[in-house]
Amino acid sequence: MIILVLLIATALAFDFTNGFHDTGNAMATSIATGALKPKTAVLLAGVLNLVGAFLSVEVAVTVTTSVLKVQDSKTGHLLPSIDASTGLTIIFAGLIGGILWNLLTWLFGIPSSSSHALFGGLIGAGLAALGTAGVNWSGITQKVLIPAVAAPVIACLVAACGTWLVYRITRKVLQKRREEGFRWGQIATASLVALSHGTNDAQKTMGVIALALITTGHLTGDVKKDGLPFWIIFSCALAIGLGTYIGGWRVIRTLGKGLVEIESPQGFAAEASSAAIILSSSAAGMALSTTHVATGSILGSGVGKPGAEVRWAVAGRMAVAWLVTLPAAGIVGALSYWLSDAVKSVSGSALAGDGLIFLILVGLSFYMWWRAQQQKVDHKNVNADWDDSTNSVVPAEVREAAKAPKDTAAV
Amino acid sequence: MTYAESILKVLVVGLLLGAGLPAVFAGGLVAYSSGTGGQASDGTVHAPNPVLKYLGIALFVFVAWVIVTAVFWITRTTIIHHFGVDLFPFMPKK
Repeated sequence: MIILVLLIATALAFDFTNGFHDTGNAMATSIATGALKPKTAVLLAGVLNLVGAFLSVEVAVTVTTSVLKVQDSKTGHLLPSIDASTGLTIIFAGLIGGILWNLLTWLFGIPSSSSHALFGGLIGAGLAALGTAGVNWSGITQKVLIPAVAAPVIACLVAACGTWLVYRITRKVLQKRREEGFRWGQIATASLVALSHGTNDAQKTMGVIALALITTGHLTGDVKKDGLPFWIIFSCALAIGLGTYIGGWRVIRTLGKGLVEIESPQGFAAEASSAAIILSSSAAGMALSTTHVATGSILGSGVGKPGAEVRWAVAGRMAVAWLVTLPAAGIVGALSYWLSDAVKSVSGSALAGDGLIFLILVGLSFYMWWRAQQQKVDHKNVNADWDDSTNSVVPAEVREAAKAPKDTAAV
Repeated sequence: MTYAESILKVLVVGLLLGAGLPAVFAGGLVAYSSGTGGQASDGTVHAPNPVLKYLGIALFVFVAWVIVTAVFWITRTTIIHHFGVDLFPFMPKK
């Protein structure tokens, strides 16, 4: 029971990192074009994520059934080959893989996919515990891998068409009125993206908590028919909303300033494309990465505007991060599982093993947070000029200040 | 449903809603802006045109309506589950 509580807390912590990692998907362009003040933007996004989380449970269903094979596909009961304690450790280790990868990419300001971090962690832990039979390969290919490749491409295409059309249609409109009109359009579409992020990503955590409760027998397997208990939906909604409000300024900066220099018509087209794609795939139960869609759309808005410049070096670095996200989080997940399992077999207590990996998680998270504080990116310097020579997410002034002696840096 | 089919579906919906709606919004902006009149960038002055202005507003309202309907469409199973109200009684059930 203690393990279950720890696990739910960890799942909510993942949801929280998911929120602040992905604020940028919705709000980066609005912040970059000045359509919204940074603080207002994250508050709006936080509230809408909260609301969005209540909208649907399709994706949560996908998470409980399509990643790991712990349930009997017909009855929804736990498979006889897995006992509850192993099942919990797998999920626990998977979450740890997801959180650590999320924090690491946030530290470098890379908008990697929180969903892939989570799935990677779960797959890794599942492989470590059950071997290849424990993973639902066809489910993963169909609902995770294929959308992962397709989503950014579709998003890029749609956003490029949208941007081109929007510029083409409004080319005769007064500059001032165009800016103003699209600024409103941008706020509306960015809000939609935040809403869709809530429906898509909060559900992933709901799915994980549901999976844990199914494992311990607190919940029957048929999430689709019976819905989820209200407290799961509520706590996940709250966690993702809070996380979004805290704001992952580093990621916002990369998306809004690093990739392309954005004008409000571009931001508008990019957000519209993201919202349309995320919402339609949420409805279809596809657990695609909101990050991939948002990044693809922003790239597309750069491709679609004649004469716009795309920083392909930054885009390339992101693409690399995307490729390694699944395996990297998987490795962390597998290591955590093995560690916990080893401690369990030595000490004879499942709590000792799971408790140890929990403590390691807390320690490493704190360390990365501390590292980020050293060269802080926040709502004040999120729009500082992008440094083309280093392509680093940390603004040049902050890096200078950090190098200077301690007493001046402390002021 | 095969993957190709669902990807194609998302692409079509994405193009319709993700690029089509922004284009309609842009059209609304053009109509509204020229309906409001004022001085264009080349210096010529246009008289306000109420018909165009209301056309622009109508297009904005249309875009908003599509968005709200789409959000309700996604939420429909949840709404049915909690409140027992089916907002789209004439659409086929999944």
